[in-house]
Amino acid sequence: MTTLGPTLLPWLVALPLAGAALVPIVARRDARWAGGFTFAVALATTALASVLVAQLASQGPFSADLGGWAAPYGIELHFDRFAAWTMALAALFSFVIPFSWRYLDATLPRERWAPFYALMLLNLGGLLGFSVTGDLFNLFVTMEVVSLSSYALVAVAGRGVAAWAALKYLLLGAVSSLLVLFAVGLLFALTGSLNLADVSVRLAAAEPSGAALLALASLAVAFLVKAALFPLHVWLPDAHAIAPSPVSAVLSGLVVKVGIVGLLRVLQLAAGTGISLEPLNTVLMVLGATAIVMGAFLAIFQDDIKLMLAYSTISNIGYIVLGIGLASPFALIGAFVHVFNHALIKVTLFLAAGAIIHQTGYRTLSDLRGVARRMPQTAAAMAIGAVSIVGLPPTAGFVCKWYIALGAFEADQGGYGFALVFGALFIFVYYVRMLDAFFFRSPVRPEVADAVEAPWSMRAPVLVLAAACLVLGVLGGIPIGFVEPAVVDLLAALGR
Amino acid sequence: MTLLGLDLDYVACIVLFCVGLYMLVAKSNLIKKVLGLNVMETAVFAFIVTSGMIDGGQEPIVVAGSAPPYTSPIPHAMVLTGIVVAVSVTAVALALIAQIHAHYGTIEVDELKELP
Repeated sequence: MTTLGPTLLPWLVALPLAGAALVPIVARRDARWAGGFTFAVALATTALASVLVAQLASQGPFSADLGGWAAPYGIELHFDRFAAWTMALAALFSFVIPFSWRYLDATLPRERWAPFYALMLLNLGGLLGFSVTGDLFNLFVTMEVVSLSSYALVAVAGRGVAAWAALKYLLLGAVSSLLVLFAVGLLFALTGSLNLADVSVRLAAAEPSGAALLALASLAVAFLVKAALFPLHVWLPDAHAIAPSPVSAVLSGLVVKVGIVGLLRVLQLAAGTGISLEPLNTVLMVLGATAIVMGAFLAIFQDDIKLMLAYSTISNIGYIVLGIGLASPFALIGAFVHVFNHALIKVTLFLAAGAIIHQTGYRTLSDLRGVARRMPQTAAAMAIGAVSIVGLPPTAGFVCKWYIALGAFEADQGGYGFALVFGALFIFVYYVRMLDAFFFRSPVRPEVADAVEAPWSMRAPVLVLAAACLVLGVLGGIPIGFVEPAVVDLLAALGR
Repeated sequence: MTLLGLDLDYVACIVLFCVGLYMLVAKSNLIKKVLGLNVMETAVFAFIVTSGMIDGGQEPIVVAGSAPPYTSPIPHAMVLTGIVVAVSVTAVALALIAQIHAHYGTIEVDELKELP
């Protein structure tokens, strides 16, 4: 039992990557098998992740050395509470995959199914690798696995507009990846090590230098592009709105969190190096607050529901970044919890939107009036998601936003607390617009007036996720209790 | 070895990086944008490889008669992986540009923006 964690940890990353390689073989006889196989791999990965989390809970953090090379020379995988918390993100894949089964029927030609599922698994493997790796260069490689599969997933629908959105995403994404690679090279030149913990120790031992500052700043900027923090968000709305709905759910809920996890790694690196984090924190607070208000403001003018959800992601990244910038215990806890809770809510919303678009063929608020009459369950899930993302009690969104607001006052930055509440009001406005159109207007389109509820393989994931939004709101203390030790450790390392 | 001093090789990398960035930002042709990206990548690779060099350093293979100082082999390994990543990114980018061209008949950004 004692060595189970380190033995299983590499398989957490290897399983989805191997699954991705096998998908085209499984799909050779019949493309429909790819979906079931991918679901099985996603479930197995989730089961493995829960075993690892149980190990963490009983024995504390553990590491695995790849290929038998001990850290700091070999690649080290490290499983701590941060990593464990991101495992919850990966579990969301198990909901997105079954949703895709019927969704792909209508949206993708059959020969593209195998690439779609293979890319989904690659994405999952990259995400897991990114959150458990303890090696700087491995961080870059896993980030590229996530990024490349994301570019391809945006374009998978295969029309010109999708390719154009994917290319815009790729050009910005590639520049930010390049900044990461540059910073990794620079940090290696400075410290002679690639192991995250080792680099941090060596940076702390060396004199604070301009080069170290440059490396950490490059990493921070690069990860903020990946996180789509306003004003570095320009690639996000088109890419997230044009991609097929399951892909939008993964990109908006999970892939942008790569930037957030990366940013936290930068903070861990910088802790104790003697470099003052005050300027970075100020920038994060200002940009975070701006992102909340601007994302919400831009969303108000959207008629397309998926574009609206994409802008809402920009707001919510603002909340997380604001919480990190405030750097007070409450704010950080709120930000960490929101990393998952936003993913849960956004996956619920995008899948519900996908189900509605799939059943009616329309995607704008004006066309979708009255859809709740014919699809009451999906619309109810959408309503729960909307209430959650606004942050009203008793839903998952309330807990985190409340903590971040408390953190603002705790850090004596009450102004940001008001920005947060003000942003929530904006967000409330556009979700009320959506709920008003869905529930209280008469249908204008015959397809909407005659729509039927989505098939069960689509409806069940949406309903379960919506229920989870409520449960995590009522039992909000559980995730907070889980991430609190990690936050205490980080704050201690930062010297607060 | 000084970092961010005025060593000529680092200056060359910075210049190359800026040339690539200019191409990426200023050019309207998508292929030229991707080429700019490649130039930027080359600048970063060159920087990483140079950072592992040392005056009078030998290749890091221990045989009879070899003595330190050795050049660091790890940057080479990193750059090799980096090149693989860069090639994959370029391949995806070119495939997307081919799709854009097939659909819209143009790869100029200013013309793509005017389309509905």
